[in-house]
This record gives sequence, structure tokens and C-alpha cells, in this order.
Amino acid sequence: MAGSALRRLMAEYKQLTLNPPEGIIAGPINEENFFEWEALITGPEGTCFEGGVFPAKLIFPPDYPLSPPKMQFTCEMFHPNIYADGRVCISILHAPGDDPMGYESSAERWSPVQSVEKILLSVVSMLAEPNDESGANVDAAKMWREDRLEFERIAQKLVKKTLGIPI
Amino acid sequence: MRTAGITLISVALTCAVIGNAYYQKKQFYPSVVYITKSNPSMAVIYVQGLILVFIMNTFLRKIFFGNLRAAELEHLVERAWYAVTETCLAFTVFRDDFSPKFIALFTLLLFLKSFHWLAEDRVDFMERSPVITWLFHVRVLSLLTLLFTINGTMIEYAYMSTLTKGASVQLVFGFEYAILLTVVLNITIKYVLHTVDLQSENPWDNKAVFLLYTELIIGLLKVILYVAFVTIMVRIYTLPLFAFRPMYYTMRNFKKAFHDVVMSRRAIRNMNTLYPDATPEELAAADNVCIICREEMFTASKKLPCNHIFHTACLRSWFQRQQTCPTCRLNILRPTPANNGPRAQNQAPAPGQQAPQAAQAQGVNQQVDQPFQMPAGFWMGLQAQQGAGAQIQGQNNAPNIGLPPFQSVPPGSLPLFVPPFPPMVHLPPVPAPPPNLTTLTDEELRAMEGNMRQAVEARIQTLQRVQLLLDAANAMMSQYQTAAATANIPGPNVGSAAEAAEKEKKEEKANHSEDAGPSMSEQGKFAGEPLPGSSGVSNESIVQTDTKTMNATTSNENHATPSTSRTRTEPTDEKEMLRRRRLQKFIAQTTTTTD
Ligand SMILES: [Zn+2]
Ligand SMILES: [Zn+2]
Repeated sequence: MAGSALRRLMAEYKQLTLNPPEGIIAGPINEENFFEWEALITGPEGTCFEGGVFPAKLIFPPDYPLSPPKMQFTCEMFHPNIYADGRVCISILHAPGDDPMGYESSAERWSPVQSVEKILLSVVSMLAEPNDESGANVDAAKMWREDRLEFERIAQKLVKKTLGIPI
Repeated sequence: MRTAGITLISVALTCAVIGNAYYQKKQFYPSVVYITKSNPSMAVIYVQGLILVFIMNTFLRKIFFGNLRAAELEHLVERAWYAVTETCLAFTVFRDDFSPKFIALFTLLLFLKSFHWLAEDRVDFMERSPVITWLFHVRVLSLLTLLFTINGTMIEYAYMSTLTKGASVQLVFGFEYAILLTVVLNITIKYVLHTVDLQSENPWDNKAVFLLYTELIIGLLKVILYVAFVTIMVRIYTLPLFAFRPMYYTMRNFKKAFHDVVMSRRAIRNMNTLYPDATPEELAAADNVCIICREEMFTASKKLPCNHIFHTACLRSWFQRQQTCPTCRLNILRPTPANNGPRAQNQAPAPGQQAPQAAQAQGVNQQVDQPFQMPAGFWMGLQAQQGAGAQIQGQNNAPNIGLPPFQSVPPGSLPLFVPPFPPMVHLPPVPAPPPNLTTLTDEELRAMEGNMRQAVEARIQTLQRVQLLLDAANAMMSQYQTAAATANIPGPNVGSAAEAAEKEKKEEKANHSEDAGPSMSEQGKFAGEPLPGSSGVSNESIVQTDTKTMNATTSNENHATPSTSRTRTEPTDEKEMLRRRRLQKFIAQTTTTTD
């Protein structure tokens, strides 16, 4: 019988395929390796990311779901909670005790209760409501606070880029 | 493309060199002598040799591994850099032995190492892919056999060479191949475990434990090898700097493996002693999917004090990392005082869990501690006369951790708001319970979620009220209990004895009002405080109290803060139900903390 991590990932994949949450597509890049997924996230409506389709990849640890996966956008992103290289920094992706930002309560941290679906939904809500206390991208956080119009302009530019529309 | 170009150039050069030599000397032996005497020619030949080795390596890699995955290649390049650097460092120690032969041997070692790394990655990959073909097994098995043989041969060669010719660079080779042998051993064991697991129909729970112990033993072997090697090197040559990085990592891995084994043993012990197996009825109850592996639970499941049920094996591997309930994050490793006799068993979680809360609540919410101080005075008097003392003391002291002893609190230092706790009233009133939680609207519930300041405040407020209720209930129950004890009514039946106890209590109160003097008058002052929505919180739930729900509810309190905000993304109905149930427990709990 396959390992428990693999079985759980297959179960989650099945679940996500049968009942896909709105605006989210996710699955293994290659069905021979269930520990590397790609996801497409649609920018939430009514936000400056609306209309965009953002690709990301998820890398799962061998001991998933005991440890959280890592998530990284593979397109250009400008957001207070996304590092310049695309890595996503939200509390659900950190195990309790591992707190790079030093502000998160253990409440919303990783635990086996969480799932790929919940991570992706959290990322969608993160796109809608950035947490500007996080220092993943300081410039973006500052701009989000102080110059919302400029932030929205950049976000719109990125949206167009992901859709392949020339700017 | 570039590789092909280099290969072609090299072949052309070699042909030119050989052709030139043969053209000049016309015969085989003189040509060979000519080439070996000429430095440029030899350089070309060496480069050609290197390229041949490289081609050979690529060829073998194709045979044994097929196409490398991106991650494997990345891994390979990264490790190769370290290996090359360390090899260069090793050369500096053995300058005297420097010769083409040793370069060849080191190159061979390097390529063999790369095969070990790749084999390791491949075998780890078995756990990640649902598709394991026969080709995979054939490849891995033949590769492992080959590596075993080569390592064995090289070790033997190095050993014989050292014995006959004395210490030389062969020492390093022998040691390197010994390390590689442990690596192959490790890979083989992992491969066997994975294969057995893949063949069996059911999940193999103990595999994780076997893997842990393999890691530990191999780690120990490696550490011993490194220590021996460094010792020998220091005695014969100098400090082997090139071995330090791998040695450091080996020791770190060993430490980690040791730590993992310790944690695992502790987890297993806890599993076996502290938590009951889930009964078939509990498993049959509605939602019997294990939240860790998302599979159904039929057997071999454990129930935590918070009533959450998981597979024994899943829980065990989780406990190796964190000692919390995966669902509600209740810390399950709180020390439980075991020396208070059988009855304390029931209460054990209560004091242990309340202590940190009380301490923490002090900053936020001074009044929380107040209910304890007055009954504490009450008990001071009682304990002098009664044998029930020890246990009650335990109850009263634990929540007061961090507070000065009762007597030393000057009456003036009481904060403005003291929850009313008049001891003479028929049913001692408790502070306002949270608003009727079962009938909260979705709106109100939503207001308590999220990260916004308001939401957090709302949560804290509710929790503080719950805490207040809890503490008051705690004190009340203590009173009931002592009253019951004086009346020789068996303790655990407080519920059925409640009425009798009540009568007794009134008498008791009358007797002891002198003892508790000052604090009683304090209470008098506050007795008139309004008691919004107070007393109805139910004798019923006291009556219903039994050990099980008690444990459950007390522990529930503990994880209340995290869980209120956690469930955001669950399907609404289920979430709603869950929340309702949890809030109901809050209410029940306010009256059932202690028995
Ligand atoms: Zn399970
Ligand atoms: Zn729990």
C-alpha cells in the first residue's frame, strides 16, 4: 500500500477534482509525482487582482500532512504577503513555532486539519485582503498602506500580464 | 550540444596526437614512448580519458536512472560542488601522493558518490509516486548490488594497501567507501521497507518506526566512522579539514534521529497509557474520518481528552512533532498530578490546565481571580477541621498560581469589579454568562471570527466571561463538595446529593462565617451587585455531570481561543454545527468544571 502522505494527497486531489472550489484549479504537475502540484488561482472579484489567473506551484514535504507544503507563485506578483521570488507567506503555511514574521498566533497555523483547498482559499482571501503587517514584500506593504491607487495600478498591470494582454 | 562538441574536439585532438606519434615513429612501442614523454600529448590523452569517464558515467546513469527529474538534477549539482571542493581540500593533505592514478581514483569516487545520491533520491521517490514499475525495481536492485560490490572491493583494496604499504591516501579512500557502504545499507533498508509496504494490502503502521530506528543506527555508524577517521588522520597527518563539513552534518542528523526516536517513544508511551481506544460506538458516530489521513476509521483509533478521534498510527506520527490535538490544538502533554488519589484523576486536567490560564488572565482580567480568594478564606477555616483538606487545597491553589497567598491581599487592593459571590444565598449566583450562545445569529458569530481588532476583542470578552463563570462554578462546586463531605455523602454523587448538600451548606456557612471574617464582609459589600442572567445556568448540568463530559469540557476551554477563528474555510453548515456544539459545551462547562 502506498504511503499515507501519498494516499492523502491522492484523496485531496480527487476531492478537488470532484468539487472544485470556485476560481481554483489544482493538481499534480505530473501524475507520477503527487508531491509537486500546480495551481491556477483566479483573482478575487471586486479587488485589484480581479480577472487575473495566477499560476503557482505547491511542493509537499514527504511527511505531509504533518508538515505544511510550500507555495510559490510562478508568475510575477506584487503583494505584501508574497516574496519577490513568488513564495507565499501566510500563517496557514507555517507550523506552530516556526514564525518568520513573529506576529502570527498559533491559531491559524498549519495542522493536519488544513488542506490544499483551505490553503488555496486562504491565498484567495489574502489576495483580497493583504495583511500589511507581514514583511514578505515591504515595498508592496508600504504602497498598499500609503498609495493604494498606485498599488492597484501595478496589480492591474500584473493581471494583464498573466492573461498575455500586451500592456 | 556543448558536451557533444567538446567530445568531438577531444576525439579529434587525440586522433591527431596518436596519428602524429605514429607518423613520426612508424612503430607501436616507440610511438607510445613518444607520447608519454611529450607533456602536451599526455595532457590531450588525460582530457580524453576524463571525457571517456564522463561519457561512461552518463551512459550508466541512463541505464540505472533513465531521465533525471529536475529536483534530482538540482540536488546532484549542489552536492557535487561540495564533493569537488572537499576533494580538492583532501588533495592538499596528500600532495606527496599526487599522481594521475589518484586523480583517476578520486574521479571514480566522485562518480560513485553521485550514484549513491541519485539512488537515495530514487528510493525516497517511491513514497511519492503511485506508479512504481517493474523497471524501477530491476534498476534499483541491480544498482544497489553493484554499489555494494564496488564499495566492498574498494574497502578491501584500501585495507590491503594500507597494511602492506603503510598509511597513504588509501586511508581516505577506504574511509570514503566505508561511508558509502553505510549509505547503500541505508538505501537498501529503506527500499525493502517501502517495497514491503507497497505489496501489503493494509497500511503498515510500524514502518515509520522502523525507518526511525534505521536512521538512528546508520547515523550512529557514520558518527563512529567519522570520529575514527579524524582520530587516525590527526595521528598520522594533520587535521582533516575536508571531512569537517560532512562530519558536522552527520552528527546533526544523528542528533535529529536520536531526538526523533525519543519523541516517538514518548508518543507511543503516551498513546498506550493516557488515551483510551475509541469504542466502536464512537467510531460509528457520524463523522469517523481521521482528519490526519482523511481515511475512515474502523479500528485502532484513539480518543484524546478533547473527544477528538484519530488513527493510532496517524496520531503517533503527529505526536512526534507536536504534542497537540491536530483538530483543536489542545496541548495534551500538560503535566498531570498523579499523587492525589483516584478522585484526583478526574480533576487532574482541571488544575493543570487552569493554572496557566489564571496566570495569563491576571494581566487581562483581574477579576477572574477574585472568586477564588473569597472561597479560599472560607476553606482556610474548613481545612482546620476537616480531612477533605488536601484535595480542596489542590483545587484552590492551582488556579491561584502566581498570586500572593490569600491572607496577604489587602482588602483595598481588590479591583473595582468583583463578581458577586454571596455565600449565604440559597443558590450562589454566578457572574453573567456569555449571551445565550446557542441562539447567536450568524452575524454575531461572524463578528467573533477573523483577525480584526473588534473580532479579537469580542472573542476575548466572551472567553473572559466564560472564564469568570468557570472560576465561579469551580468555587461553587468546591463548596458543595465540602458540604457534602461534612455530611458524609460520597463525593462523586454531588448531583444527586445536591439538595442535601445545599442544606448542609447553609449550616456550614453559618458556622464558618466567623472564621472567614474579613472576606465575608467584603463579599457583603458586593452581594448587591446585579446578576444579569446569572443563576439559571443550570443545576441540570451539574446533575448530568460525569467524568467524561467533564474532562471534555474542561479541555475544551483550553483551545477555545484558537478554534474560534480556525474554521473559516469549512463548509458553512458543518462549521455552523460544530460551532454551535462547541459553544454549548462552553455553557455546560461553566457549571461542571470540578465535581
Ligand atoms: Zn488516520
Ligand atoms: Zn481536540
